[in-house]
Amino acid sequence: MPGSSRRLILGVVGILVAGGLIGWVYGHAAWGLLVAALVILLWQTRQLLSFNKAVQTRDFEQFRYGEGIWQQMFSRYNYEHERALRAKREYRRLLKEIRRSTDAMPDGAVILDEDNQIIMCNKAAKRLGGLKRKKDRGQRVDNILRDPKLTELLRSNAFAQEIEIPSPVKEEGWLNCRVVPYGANQKLLILRDITEQIRLTKMRRDFVANASHELRSPLTVISGYLDSLSEDVNLEKDWGQPVRQMQQQARRMNTVVAELLELSRLESAGQASKDEVVDVSGLLAAARKSYLGQDDVAEIEVVTESSAQLLAAGNEVESLISNLLSNAVRHTPADGRITLAWRVANGGAEISVTDTGEGIPPDQVPRLTERFYRVHRGRAREDGGVGLGLAIVKHTLNRHDAELRITSDLGKGSEFCCRFPAERVVLEPPVPILSGGKRG
Amino acid sequence: MEASNFTDHISRRFNKDIEDLRNSVLSMGGLVETQLSKAIAAIVSGDSELGLKVANDDYKVNNLEVDIDEECSRILATRAPAAGDLRLIVAIIKTITDLERIGDEAEKIGFLASKLAGMDRPADSYRELKNLGSHVSHMLRDAMNAFARMDVSEALEVVREDELVDDEYDAITRQCITFMMEDPRSIKRVMNVTWAARSLERIGDHAKNICEYVIYMVEGRDVRHTDISEDIVGE
Repeated sequence: MPGSSRRLILGVVGILVAGGLIGWVYGHAAWGLLVAALVILLWQTRQLLSFNKAVQTRDFEQFRYGEGIWQQMFSRYNYEHERALRAKREYRRLLKEIRRSTDAMPDGAVILDEDNQIIMCNKAAKRLGGLKRKKDRGQRVDNILRDPKLTELLRSNAFAQEIEIPSPVKEEGWLNCRVVPYGANQKLLILRDITEQIRLTKMRRDFVANASHELRSPLTVISGYLDSLSEDVNLEKDWGQPVRQMQQQARRMNTVVAELLELSRLESAGQASKDEVVDVSGLLAAARKSYLGQDDVAEIEVVTESSAQLLAAGNEVESLISNLLSNAVRHTPADGRITLAWRVANGGAEISVTDTGEGIPPDQVPRLTERFYRVHRGRAREDGGVGLGLAIVKHTLNRHDAELRITSDLGKGSEFCCRFPAERVVLEPPVPILSGGKRG
Repeated sequence: MEASNFTDHISRRFNKDIEDLRNSVLSMGGLVETQLSKAIAAIVSGDSELGLKVANDDYKVNNLEVDIDEECSRILATRAPAAGDLRLIVAIIKTITDLERIGDEAEKIGFLASKLAGMDRPADSYRELKNLGSHVSHMLRDAMNAFARMDVSEALEVVREDELVDDEYDAITRQCITFMMEDPRSIKRVMNVTWAARSLERIGDHAKNICEYVIYMVEGRDVRHTDISEDIVGE
């Protein structure tokens, strides 16, 4: 570069000096300089024009008059241009690769900006959600996937939550939606086709319900005969014990079947209605009463901290309490203590059952609500539990938008806490309308 | 996207107002769609609880209509919109009326579903209602999509589909009449089925109306009560 710059300067100065000298020889130095300057101007203009033409056509051959610094500029330009082209090609290839890989994903992915407007979506989103790639860009995603649940999810920014919405394109199809934070202020909406899963769950549920139902009638016959056998005076002595045991087991099986049926009913039922007003403290007291006068049962205490009432299905809440209490009784030694509490807390209300029993190992806690799951495999069947109690509790709570929280200290005791949302709680007990007297 | 026609204003607040209005109409549409599909599911599966829930939830649709209506008047009064914006507002005012009526019909269907659930069910468990219902839900969904995308061709598609729904409704009516003549004891039940079919057919008409408003909004031409089967797209 410095070489060619120096050459250009030398050339210009040389011509000017030569023109000035020649002019001076003839007595007109100014004219000589002027002519030299014109020559330089012409020379540079020609090269500039030629350069322009070469740049426009991108043809190196066109740059015929190029020399010195112009030549250098052109090759520099050419080099940069080639490089930019190559980079562009590379980016385009990369973009295509990325696009192809997102298109190959089986799950729909939609990139949203902070106002939930669609920035980009992949092919699966198009297939699953009926989005249109070009047309829907800039459209809010819940304008196209118009399920109130999805709108609510996007509004609340609850990133851990998953919801299920009916598929907008497939008849009786279902989509699972999840929103994850993505980049600066952006969100990624992930759609997954769960039609098959839903169908399988339904099939399983139907199977359990049907099987339990079918088991019921033979079981009734068997228990019936066993009952009359056990009362038969002519029964041989050796048979007494086996028949009693069979009777016991038949009764157990009856309970299992009944609880399975209850469970499948709870599973397939939708939200519990809010029409019934339930007096929880009364139910707690009644549950306590049922254990009164029994030996080797821990002391049971009822703590009512609130007169609030619950909008729920009364019989279900009753069975929920009796399930939790019977668990507590079973796992608490006779010198222990069980506390049933009803309180308003954390923007809702809680029924809590606390015991000073043996506690549950922490790694087992999340599995407690599985059907037939048992903490102690061995002692399982002696204590009379079927293994469905907590599953029923969980499903009952699901139906009431409530959640079950289990905290437990091994060796010290456990707390089972059912938390109901505020919309299911009536703080003031309703004033009876026909109260007679005038209220001022 | 075409919706950006309405998002080009000097006042950014106005942009936002109009965008919010559009969004709330679409979420009202989403609510109505859910109500309708629940109502159909309630009838088909004989779920009286679900049917009553649909009937009880209709107030949400009504509240939305009132809110959106108010917002429209506010925009008309304070912004005095012109041209495309004015058409949008006018179309929205009409659209929400139709949506609210669809909500009412869904409520009616939900109520009928809870009634029908208590009666004996035919062997095909109301397959014809299910077909008509899925047809109508499709129409409603496409109508709302057309509204969201300002898509005239999609709107026209729905308008044409309405004829199929009308035919289907006729077929169901004929079938119902046959049932009633064969077995007068079933009249009470079949009457309810007829009412449900009638409601579904009405919903189809409302969806068609919404599409006509979409065409009005985008093209600025009123295509109500005209034969539009060979219209517009060619232009």
